This record gives sequence, structure tokens and C-alpha cells, in this order.
Amino acid sequence: MKSNTSKTKSHKSGVTSHKPILLVACGLWLVACLLGAASRPKPAVYIQKLKNSRYRLMVNKKPYIVKGVCYNPIPIGENHEYDWWSDPNKPWLVDGKLMQEMGVNTVRVYQSGENPEAVKNVIRDLYQLYGIRMIMGHWLGFWEYPCPGYGENDFKERVKKEVLSMVDLYKDEPGILFWVLGNENNYSFSGQVNPWSSDEIDKEPEPQTQKFMRGKIYYSFVNELAKEIHKIDPNHPVALGNGELIGLDIAAKFSPDVDLVACIIYRGKTFGNLFKSLKVTFDKPIALTEFGADAYDAYLNKEAQNMQAFFLESQWRQIYQNLAGNKEGAGNCLGGTIFEWTDEWWKHNESDPESWKVHDIESNWSNGSYYFDIKAPKNMNMNEEQFGIVALSQDLENGINKRLPRKAYYVVREFWKNPTLGNINKKKDKK
Amino acid sequence: MIKLSIRRIFLISTWYLVLGTLPLFAAQEDNKLVTLSKQIIEAKTTAELYRPFEELKDLYFSRTMIKSEGGIPLPAGKENKFSDFVGFLESLSSKKNTLEPFTNYYIALSRYQQLKYLEETQNWDEYFAKGNDYRSKISEAAAKTVASIAVSEPLHLYANLILWQFHRDQQDVFHEAALADLMNSSLEYAKDATDIIPIKEVADRLVAYGEKGKSKELYKIYVDRLIASDIKDEALSNTALEFYKQGNLELSQGIYDVYIGKVVAYPKEEAIPILIEIAKNFAYSAASAVGGLGGKDEGLKDAFYAEKVFKKIEELGKEEAFNEELIYLRAFNLEKSKEYAQAKDAYLNLVQRFPSSAYADEADFKTAIIYTYILRDIKNGRAYFEKLSQKETLTPQGIASLYHLGLLSQWEENFSAAREYYKKLIEKAKEGFPQTFGLAQERMKEIEETKPIEYNLKTFLDLSLKDENTMYDMSKLDLKASLYRVSKGQELNIAASVYLPQTGCLQMEVQYFWSGDLGKTKPAFDEASFNTSFTDPGTKVINLVVVSPSGVLDRSIALIDMR
Repeated sequence: MKSNTSKTKSHKSGVTSHKPILLVACGLWLVACLLGAASRPKPAVYIQKLKNSRYRLMVNKKPYIVKGVCYNPIPIGENHEYDWWSDPNKPWLVDGKLMQEMGVNTVRVYQSGENPEAVKNVIRDLYQLYGIRMIMGHWLGFWEYPCPGYGENDFKERVKKEVLSMVDLYKDEPGILFWVLGNENNYSFSGQVNPWSSDEIDKEPEPQTQKFMRGKIYYSFVNELAKEIHKIDPNHPVALGNGELIGLDIAAKFSPDVDLVACIIYRGKTFGNLFKSLKVTFDKPIALTEFGADAYDAYLNKEAQNMQAFFLESQWRQIYQNLAGNKEGAGNCLGGTIFEWTDEWWKHNESDPESWKVHDIESNWSNGSYYFDIKAPKNMNMNEEQFGIVALSQDLENGINKRLPRKAYYVVREFWKNPTLGNINKKKDKK
Repeated sequence: MIKLSIRRIFLISTWYLVLGTLPLFAAQEDNKLVTLSKQIIEAKTTAELYRPFEELKDLYFSRTMIKSEGGIPLPAGKENKFSDFVGFLESLSSKKNTLEPFTNYYIALSRYQQLKYLEETQNWDEYFAKGNDYRSKISEAAAKTVASIAVSEPLHLYANLILWQFHRDQQDVFHEAALADLMNSSLEYAKDATDIIPIKEVADRLVAYGEKGKSKELYKIYVDRLIASDIKDEALSNTALEFYKQGNLELSQGIYDVYIGKVVAYPKEEAIPILIEIAKNFAYSAASAVGGLGGKDEGLKDAFYAEKVFKKIEELGKEEAFNEELIYLRAFNLEKSKEYAQAKDAYLNLVQRFPSSAYADEADFKTAIIYTYILRDIKNGRAYFEKLSQKETLTPQGIASLYHLGLLSQWEENFSAAREYYKKLIEKAKEGFPQTFGLAQERMKEIEETKPIEYNLKTFLDLSLKDENTMYDMSKLDLKASLYRVSKGQELNIAASVYLPQTGCLQMEVQYFWSGDLGKTKPAFDEASFNTSFTDPGTKVINLVVVSPSGVLDRSIALIDMR
């Protein structure tokens, strides 16, 4: 005890004798830090956290509401393999103008094209000519045959290289808004969609535990990617692309480094309790990067532009209600990108080139939240080829299929100009 | 008289002025409009305003056809007059501003109904052109009513109800606050209210929107008030029955709970028949449909409430309280609510206590089926099949038992035993049981040709009988029939519901492996439902296995009785 005391004393006296020097050094260090912080520029795009877990996206130091569309301008007669980025007719020039007139400020692409120069040209054209920024995504190998190998290190390494190469190539483009990793990859956790596994998962008999194991592997991988992206690109947020809120309880544990959730969601008229649920599950801001409605009534077998417009107007109303600026809402929504800009005629039967020339009206899936045509045969009411807010004509104009804006184009345009949210004008109750 | 006439002229001219058109109603309705307007203008108290305003609303709203399903046009000659009503209300309030709480409430209500109507009839031009105005008007007008009338007035409650319904329909960010306001004003109102009906009306709406917890809270207030009013037991029972008939099970059960609490204090011999009647109302019976697909017994069912009452009967009267019919009803109710283990015990009890009951063979057969295919107890199941098959005079259940004994042996690859059972069946079932006869012939053919059991059936048997498949516990798949007791040739619908994990637009394609007693139909792999009918009497066993691209999802079974 004694020696200890003396040791302490001697140490203390040492400190005392160097006190002025240390204080000066600390002071200098603090000043240097403050100067450094002041001179360090804010990232071009970042998320600002406000009080009560409210968030807003900041672009060049100004709040930015994502008013966007998913963009995949496949011409009639082509399929998803078509490299539209290199299309000599530059469809994005016609589209960009129409988008600008509507009020679109963002497009979301699912993955960049293979030719970096072509991709850069599209980003630059849209941004420089029309002020439209791009959310750039990566599938993370979700559609690879025979299955996405998130349980295999080789697969993950390869995907990681691709993602980082994409970020490296385009991070300095002023038109980039943020990155999205994956899309609805989390639906594979149940083992029913694009099923993948690992030795460990195969040994586990309990389906719920298997699901958790898949979630842990996948979200840890996404987190690793997010960290790596932040190292090479501090200027753009990284989003976790996720179908609904499925699995986000797992993401909360294993993907802490993603900046926001990019949610793919089809709930009909509104998004229900989505925004509040997210706050409880995974407190991150959210951009709805895929939502919308088709423009075909599968029950009456006819185009239904009004039906689509009805759903989209209602969906946008709820998006606006939950932006940071609206104090009654959850305040964690950054905006959204409608699925989608133009129809895609190849989707119904992607293996039959003849069907890519036909605007198929056979429904591909069922969703009761889109209730007007749910009484269609076998409840198949969602028409995958008719989600565009701009229809395609077989007639060519400037070398591309002529664009025919649907009612939703105009209704959403009007909403963005004058968002009416339907607040309660609360007055004190008369007792 | 002169004064009245002048007022009448004033009212009519107001009406024309408001509309600026010719009258929109027939003469009789026009007169009614004038009378109601007069009553409103001359009302001296708020209480006097409720009825005429409500009748006025009916006069305008009765012309509309609000349907719950979209896309249905109005019948010819019908038109809505929401906007006319709003115009009239605005005119009224400008003439007498003390009417504003009422006029504002009805303006909000009109615009609310109008928006729904526009959506349901897909009147999109007006919807997009005026929707935002109407939405703003609903919020604004209802909020004005809330602010301008005391919480002790039902109108205050109704205005909060409209606000909540409006925001709830939109599932917007305001609906939670609106619900809190509605509940607060309801509780505040209930403190001193003499008229408790508005509380019930709010609770009814809450139930309709699935807000069960909140509605229960308000129904409790309503029931407590009902009891506090010294209502006689018989009246209490009648009230409960009335709500049952109206389809309000929540409230009906709330009142029955109180009533049953009183009844159990009666002498046993009085109490038990009363309880039996209540249980019968809620129990699935042979005549009722499960799942609302339209049986003969159209009353709403709640198997769990029925069983709760059966338990009360048991507590009071022990086993003796149950006669043959009542045990059967209880067993059937349990079976249809998929409480199979309890159903099996009830069927066993029936046969034990009434061995010569008309239901005995059906009870034994269902016991065998539940043991074998649901509880995975082949040994016990087989014992009951054997019991039925060894009867001197073979009943429909005896014939079916021979088939199942053969099937179990075939599945166990004891082909000689299987052949014996099928042979016996074929001998006995040639006449009168063509469908079972046909099934036995198919199985015999498989044995003779050394082929495996038909794929769908084999899959079902593997999943139901092998120990390693206990995870397929019928929790992810439900089978429902439009009728559970049919006569020969009577058509019924069998439908499957699969509980799939959420996969958004990446929808799984599932296949349906139907097997068993499918009657006249052979549903295909992609059919989740089918219509069929039966020719042979007895209990029909329909099996289903649902398979996704990554494997089996689950299995299920349905039992249909043909007499």
C-alpha cells in the first residue's frame, strides 16, 4: 500500500511540474481540431439528424426531397439485357426533359451499365441539362445463376470488388445522389425466393433460425460494403435496399454502418405504419425507392390510368406527411422514387423475344392492397408491364419509342407543385 | 297561419336560391324538405336539431348507392346529391349561425361520403379535380364542430368520429391523434350522458375498422350502463341475442358474459337449457358453413366462445348435462375450429356414453382419421378403422375404413394386407359406393403393377405419417369448405389458403397436391380451390399438400359429411 501511494504521488508531482506545457499543447491541439473541422467541407450529400430521430437529406447544404422515378428505359422489343446506357438515340434526353417538366429531381437505376464512359454521359446529361440526380444501385448478385452465394466468401469478394469499382468510377460525378446496395434481397431469407444456403444453415433444422442466419450473413456483408464505400467516398450516403421492413430487426444488429434504408414497398393506397415501425426496428432514415401502382385493370381488362394516378397521389401524400418538415409525421422519410418511369414490355415472359414486342396484359402477381381489380381471375391483379407513368408507343420519335405520359404523370406533378396533406386544423375542444 | 306560410315561402325560396335550379326532389320529398327545414329553423334547443338534421341527411343520401366494392356504377335514375346538401347546409348556417355546429358536421359527413363514393364509383374527374378541396373541408368543418359544441353533446362525438374515420381511411399520420381525440371525447361524454347510444355507435365503427381493444372499452361502458339501468335478465338476454342477429358478436358476447354470470346462479335445471341455447348459437353445426362461404345456418359463428359456454355447462351439470346431440355438437364445433385433439376426445366420449348413437360410426371414423393423419398415431387410428371395418353390416364409415386400412398397409409396403383390405372393400362396395370403389381399384392397380402410390397421395401420407415430418403441422395451410354436410350430388367448394412469407413482387409460385376423396373433380396443380360433389355417403377426407419451388410448405385435411 505504501509504495503504491508514493508511486502515485511521484507521478502526480511529475504531472504538476509539466502542467503549463501540457495545457498549452492541449489548447493548441483543440484549436487545430476546431480549425480543421471548420475548414473540412461538408460532404456533397449527407443525412442530417434532427431532434427526435427526424432526418433530412442535405445536398450542397440544402434540404433535398427525393422526387424521383425508377429508370430503366428498355425499348419495345428488347429485354433487360439491352444496354440502354449506350443507346445512340439517348432516350434520357427526351425523358430528362419530360421529367424536368414534371418536377422529377432524381432517377433511380438498379445497376450501372458496363461501359463507364456511357454511364458517365448519362449521369452528366441528366444532371447538367435537367438538374436530375441519380441514385445508383447494385443488385449484389441477387439474380446470379443458380443462386446468390452470400454463404460463400468467393462470391462475396467478387461482388465487393464490383461494388467498390462502381463507387470508384462514379463517386466524383456531381449528379450522384447516393448508393443503394441490393433491392429485395432480404426476401431470400425465408428460403423461398432465390434460395441460398451455407453448410451451417443446412445443419440448422429450425426454419426461423435459418432465416436469422441468412439475415445475419447478408446484412453483415452489406455492412462491410458500406464501411468500405465510406472509406473511398465520404461524399455520398449508402442505402440498404430492402423489401418492406422484413429482416430489418436483424439489420439493426448487423448493418449499423448503412446510412439509410431504401425500401421497396407495395401497400396500395398508403404505407400504413411503415415510418413509425422503422423507427422502432431500425432507426435510420428511409427513402421509398420502389413503390407505385400499375395502370391496368386486370378485372375489367382495360387500361386504368386513373387507378394508377389515384394510388400514386395517395402514396405521395403519405410520403410528404412523413418528411422531416412535417411535425405530425414520423419525420424519417427522405422522399421516394416511383416504380417506374416507362413501361417495360419484356417483363411478362423474359425468355420469349416475341413477347417483348407485345404489351402483355396477363398479370404476374397478386396484391390485395390494389383493391380495384383484385377480383381478377385467381386474384392476379398486378400487371408488371404496365407500371410506367409514361406509356411507350410503338411509333418512333427521334429514334426512340414515343413517350405518352399517363394521368399519374400529371397528377403527381400537380401534387408536387401544391402538396395538400389534409392536416387537422386543431382547435381547442369546447368542454 | 299567415306567418307560417310566409316562412314556408321563405324556405322554399331559400332552397331555390341555394341551388339556383329547379327543385331536385319529387313533390313529396320537397314537402318533407320544407318541413324539416322549418323544424330546424324553429328549434329552440340543440336536442331538437338531431332528428330533423338526420332526416334531412337521409333525404339527400338515400339517393346514393354506396357500395363496399369498387367499380359498380349507380343504377339508372340514381344520383348523388352531396354537393347539393352541402350548398343547402351552407345556406342554412348563413341564415342562422347557431346552427353551425350541425351544418359543419353534416358538411364534413357529406364530403367524407362523397369522397368514398367518388372512389367507389371511379368518378375520377371529380375525384382529382375536387378531392383536395373535399379533404380540406372534412378536416376543417369537423374540427369546427368539435370546437364549437360541448363534449356532452353527441354531435361532438360524431364529429370526432368522422375525423378519425377520414384519417383512418387514408392511414395517414393524423389517424392516431384522431383516435386519441375520439376516445377522450367518448369517455368524457360517457361520464354524464343519459343517452349512451352514441357510445355504442362509436364502438360499432371502431369494430368495423378492427380497433377491437378500443371498441371493447366503449362496449364495456355501454354494457355497464345497461346493467345499471336495472334491466331484467330476460331483456338482457334478448338484447344480447339481438346484437348477435345483427352480427355484432363483440357486443353480443359482452352482454352474454354478464347474462351468463347471472344465469349460473339460477337452479341448475333452469340454467343449463339457457346456456345450451347460447352455445348452439355460436357453435359450428353440421348446417353451418365455416369461413363465411354460405352454409344453411347463416348466423355468425364463434367456435371458441361456444366452447367457453360448453365448459360452463360442464362445470354446472357435469357430464350428465350433455345429451347425445350436445356432445356431437361440441365435438363437431371443436373439429371445425381445428381443435382436433379435443374433438377426438369429444367423439370418444360420445361413443362411450352412447354406443348405439346414430353418430357413433361417424364419431369412430373421425377419431380414426384424427389419430392417424393429424396426431400421427397410426396404432390407435388403425384400431378404430378396424373396429368399423369388422362390423357385420358395413356402414359407409366401415367401407371407408377398409380403404384407409388398405392405404396404410400399402404405404407400409405390406402389400398382401393392403390387397386383402381392398379386395374386401371391392366386394362390399360395388353397389352404392362408386367413388370409394374407384379409389380402391386405383390402389389395387398400383399394387398389381408394382407402382408407387399416386404421387399426391403418397406425398400427403409421407408428410402425415413419418416422424421426421412433424414440422408440417397444418399451421401454414388452411382448408375450408363452403358446406360441411352435403347431400348426394350437392355442389360445394373447397378452398385452400396458404400463409406464405412476404416476398413482395417476387411472388412464389406454389403448387397444390390434392388427394383423397375429391369427388367428381380432379383439381390441377395450380388450383387453390375447386368445386365438387359426392355420390357415396359417409365422411369424405380431402387432403392437400402445398409445395413451393424450394420444397413443401405444409399439408392440411378437410372432413365433409355426406348423408
